[in-house]
Amino acid sequence: MALPPHIVAAPPGPAAARQPVYALVGNPNCGKTTLFNALTGLKQKVANYPGVTIEKKVGTTYSQHGQPITVIDLPGTYSLAARSPDEAVTRDVLLGRRADTPMPDRILCIVDATNLERNLYLVHQILDLGRPVIVAVNMMDLAVKAGLNLRLSRLERELGVPVIPCEALHGKGLIDLRLAMSRPELPLSRHAWDVPTAISAAVSELQAALSSHDRKPPLIARAEALLLLTDQDSVRVAGSTPLHARTAEILAQWKNRWAGDGTDWAATLVNSRYAAIQKITADVVLRAGATGPNRSDKIDAVVTHPVWGWLILGSVLTLLFVSIFSFAETPMTWIDDAFSALADWTRGHMGDGDLRDLITDGAIAGVGGVVKFLPQILILFFFVGLLESTGYMARAAFMMDGLMGRVGLNGKSFIPMLSSFACAIPGVMATRTIEKPRDRLVTILVAPLMSCSARLPVYLLLISALLPSESVPVFTKAGIMVAMYVVGTVGAFFFAWLFKRTLLKGEPPPMMMELPPYQRPELKVVVTQMLDRAWSFIRSAGTVILGISILLWFLAAYPKAPEGATKQQQIEQSFAGRAGHLLEPVIKPLGFDWQIGIGLITSFYAREVFVTTMSVVFNAESEKDKEDTKPLRDAMLTAKWPDGRPLFTPLVCVTLMIFYVFAMQCVSTLAVVKQETGGWKWPIFQTLYMTATAWLASFIVYQGGRLLGF
Amino acid sequence: MSPPLQTLLALAVVALAAIWLARRALVKKKTTGCGGDCGCDAQKVTARLKQH
Repeated sequence: MALPPHIVAAPPGPAAARQPVYALVGNPNCGKTTLFNALTGLKQKVANYPGVTIEKKVGTTYSQHGQPITVIDLPGTYSLAARSPDEAVTRDVLLGRRADTPMPDRILCIVDATNLERNLYLVHQILDLGRPVIVAVNMMDLAVKAGLNLRLSRLERELGVPVIPCEALHGKGLIDLRLAMSRPELPLSRHAWDVPTAISAAVSELQAALSSHDRKPPLIARAEALLLLTDQDSVRVAGSTPLHARTAEILAQWKNRWAGDGTDWAATLVNSRYAAIQKITADVVLRAGATGPNRSDKIDAVVTHPVWGWLILGSVLTLLFVSIFSFAETPMTWIDDAFSALADWTRGHMGDGDLRDLITDGAIAGVGGVVKFLPQILILFFFVGLLESTGYMARAAFMMDGLMGRVGLNGKSFIPMLSSFACAIPGVMATRTIEKPRDRLVTILVAPLMSCSARLPVYLLLISALLPSESVPVFTKAGIMVAMYVVGTVGAFFFAWLFKRTLLKGEPPPMMMELPPYQRPELKVVVTQMLDRAWSFIRSAGTVILGISILLWFLAAYPKAPEGATKQQQIEQSFAGRAGHLLEPVIKPLGFDWQIGIGLITSFYAREVFVTTMSVVFNAESEKDKEDTKPLRDAMLTAKWPDGRPLFTPLVCVTLMIFYVFAMQCVSTLAVVKQETGGWKWPIFQTLYMTATAWLASFIVYQGGRLLGF
Repeated sequence: MSPPLQTLLALAVVALAAIWLARRALVKKKTTGCGGDCGCDAQKVTARLKQH
């Protein structure tokens, strides 16, 4: 159906009078943010859309004559039929539904050259708006590699708007794009497509209502009418102007009439749009050679195979953890020796006194206890970076989707949960892409159960105490580590299943996920990401961990015991010791004493503080040969209960690890959960259920182990 | 350095550390999210943006 003759596009007048505003829109993974960064450089401002936790990124670029142009980077979406809060923001800004963001003067649509047909669906919807549009066809290099020949001049003719080829990653095509953006006048699209006749009456009536009641310009009203008739429009976000009551009534009447017909007119409308797009792409996209499976398809046939896929995933994870133990051992010994030497040197050059003890038993022991795990953290993030940059991580998500669906989790929950292996904070924030609020909340509640990198030093310390012999095969240690990650993941799945059947009932929507082509890993990117993580770890050790170590030393050294008291007596009557004793009745059934209790209290701030606490507590206890600082593991292994029984038995080490798998010991994560859920109700619930689970699971492991004779 | 002077200095360091940690925990963050604590590059981006 061609545009009705009485409808004329609104002239882009305001754009000429003030700094023009471009909205950048595109599908996820089309290179939109790369292009935004390339266009605006560092001239960016990041804030939130009022009322929602969705980033509003605004930047400035310059026309060919040096005049500033405002660019808004809108969240990626496959269609204007929004399925998640961030997609709803894109839809609302483009339709002028947000009072906090004026409707952009012009729209820059980024499309992925390797997947033109799918990307054009959004472009097609945007052209309906009758705004000045530029289409940037990104990743042209990948399209050429894939054997695609894109006749962009034909695409330009079909769409009636400027079409610019580019490679945002390599800065190619940006000059042409800037030139197009600098044009004072842009042609308006003259595209036309056949809306089924049976639907056109509904479109016209709704369009008229939107024009008269909601005061929408004619073309925007038509585009919105088409959208409302195909969209469930279930996602409404704060700041979005609601429909006028009369318009909503007309919409409901048409939907009811269609429901009575028994014909899925909404699907018919979507299909007719796809038919129009297919007609365009058939003329524009030429494929060289055979159209059979490409290299990525062939690899995927094995990597996502129901049997081989799981074997490969298991092997990859095993290799990762074996590497963590085998490659990191030597540099860890170096770091340990260096900190021991530094402590010994300090002791040799300072007289007895509190400052010397603070430096050696507090600062050096506390910081050294955490920094020694740096090599293992480097290896972990190097492997994670490799897997991400090759494209394997998306396949792992694909493999897990079926499993997640069985426990009622949304397929989109996989990425937040995978991110939580590094840190629960980005994991919780990544849940913003999940459409249904209940699914999102379930994912937020279970994401911290995935073993984050802060648990790594705790696991490593306890595994070294569990298996102190150098002759223990590295596979055994790696196996225990993998087991902890598996226990956390199974726990997350169990609680997701439980919450979806009790507190937060609801069916998850089907997942749509894009599998990027396999590619050679960009070593520079992988190493940069790894070094960023390492620097963050060192910065944390040099600031927060150092501060906590100093404070812990004070709490373990004061109030002073009477003259002649042993170190054990000193720490026992210190502030830390008293707090540990206060907690001991609760944790004794788990096999933990007051000294471990001190660690449990302090590590509520962050899990890795447990290692620092053990360093401070047990170095303070170490009496023999004051010139030689004992490695923490050995100090822990000599620790005893008052009746002489060893404290860190293998069973206690396993129980402690289980406790840390489930316990919510991270203040920063709680703060982010509060921010994302809009209150303290859910973070408090999360802390309670995770701590209770940690206690119960530890109790079962310890008491069960004792019954079995361990 | 005499033991009493060492005690005085040690307690001063402890007080400074306590004040710094308390201030860090209590002062409201201007930005949302982790602020880069988790190893993401949020702090780096913010710093760069401030320079310009």
